[in-house]
Amino acid sequence: MERQTIFEGRVLLAPLTAFLIALLGFPLVVDLVYSVSRVGFENIRAPEITGLGNYAKALADPEFWGAAWFSLRFGLIVASIQVVVGLILAIFLAPLFAARPWLIALLMLPMMVAPALVGLMYRLILHEFVGAVPYYLLEWYGDFPAFLGRQWVFTTLVVIETLQWTPFALLILHSAYAAISPDVREAASLDGATGLRLFLNVDLPLMLPAIGITAFIRFIDSFRVFDNLYTLVGSGAGGSTTSMSIYIYQAFFKVGDIGLAVAASMLLLAASFVVLWIINHFTARKVAT
Amino acid sequence: MRRPAIQALRWLVFGLAVLILNFPVIATLVTSLKSEAEISSNASLVIENPTLDNYAAIFGMADRFDILHFLMNSLVASTLGSALAIALAFPAAYAMARFGTGRRWLLPLAVNLRAVPLIIFAIPIYLMYQQVGLLDTRLGLSLIFCLINVPLVLVLFTSAIAELPIEIEEAARVDGAGTFRLILHVVLPMSLNVVAASSVLAFIYSWNEFLFGLMLTTSRATPISVGASFFFAASGGGVRWGVAAAVMILATLPPLLLGLVMYRQIGRSMTAGAVKG
Repeated sequence: MERQTIFEGRVLLAPLTAFLIALLGFPLVVDLVYSVSRVGFENIRAPEITGLGNYAKALADPEFWGAAWFSLRFGLIVASIQVVVGLILAIFLAPLFAARPWLIALLMLPMMVAPALVGLMYRLILHEFVGAVPYYLLEWYGDFPAFLGRQWVFTTLVVIETLQWTPFALLILHSAYAAISPDVREAASLDGATGLRLFLNVDLPLMLPAIGITAFIRFIDSFRVFDNLYTLVGSGAGGSTTSMSIYIYQAFFKVGDIGLAVAASMLLLAASFVVLWIINHFTARKVAT
Repeated sequence: MRRPAIQALRWLVFGLAVLILNFPVIATLVTSLKSEAEISSNASLVIENPTLDNYAAIFGMADRFDILHFLMNSLVASTLGSALAIALAFPAAYAMARFGTGRRWLLPLAVNLRAVPLIIFAIPIYLMYQQVGLLDTRLGLSLIFCLINVPLVLVLFTSAIAELPIEIEEAARVDGAGTFRLILHVVLPMSLNVVAASSVLAFIYSWNEFLFGLMLTTSRATPISVGASFFFAASGGGVRWGVAAAVMILATLPPLLLGLVMYRQIGRSMTAGAVKG
């Protein structure tokens, strides 16, 4: 029976494993080989292994560091705003959702729209002649900034990303808030805690894991941002909006430097592993204590 | 007096949040219902003469940009990709939940995969697809959609199966059911809720995917997320904003309607996916 179980378990796992080997394992090997090779579309099947030159080239490229800095800054800022706004909305609107759960559906809608399409929509909305946002700013304030110009483009992108994904933070944090037992709050309020103190001493500590998870997911998603950036501004004025994903895409498709693109990919993967290792280490320790 | 005032403030904040968060879609919808002449003279959110001309005009350019073709590509590849993800993940999830097979490596791999930017694998996949003839095919696209959704679906299935009462399975085993029949006739029917919820979410994620659609297709299998931008350049000269807006609305409608109808299941899946990962 025992041996039978092991065998059956492997059979059940086999299709998925084979799929992952084909679409992740094999590409990873190709990535590794190409990253230490001189390779172009002409010798794609017979790359010439040359050593770590591609990595050196990526690490010496100011645009690579510019892209890394853009992604990091963008991810951190956007995730922070989303968690704070999401938390405030989740708690303030909780009584409405408790009475009418379907209301939250209207706030979840932005997540259903493809980020690529959101980028396209803003091309229209921010357009100086036909866009609604410049129209109303002109009406109310007599002026509007060049949203996609060098000076404002980062802010514009932060706002766009925040508007689309704050609903995610709202959803996760609302369900964490709703899961807190009324008894806990009642007991605390009997002890005299009210309003902000009740929140800081009771709700916030209980919601901390959910807040951490939300911040992490939002950071990762915004760090690898591609779709809305690509459809709205591309790499922006002078590469001012080149994220890591855009950098790799351009190295491959625009410049045709496969080795550089792949080496940058590997560096990005290594960075993800470091972040994941820290997170796993951190959460494992927290569970243990 | 204080209570109703706060309640009114809540409704106000809620209303504003709905308007602001959904502003891109609202503004695009408004533009799509204006005539070309009105779009250039009136950029406000008030429509003076509503018209469906832009929607009709989309189909007039079907010889160059066939929106039905793009929508069909997205529909077929998203459905196939989601179904494949479920077919691959369900038996694996059962093995992990009940036998512990692969629990130590496959589950962490799947969870961590969601945190890795997939563009890392995009270039070798492109080169691989080129070799085996999967570039610009719906099948090639659906394999990618499957890959994108497998981690989430696997996490959701594993935790759902682990929560099922094991007594029913034990009873079925006593009656002589083998593992494969057990999965198909006992476990799967008991998990239909989570299967349905996961497939909706996987479908929406597939429909909205852009990067791989951009890289791996050129014309035959172009999904709507990529094809929508073609209409911005459709008329050679300036952009026909009304047509572009109408295209974006049509491209957004399927996931938007699914989201409205199935918000409860989607919300539950998203939350479970986040918390259990």
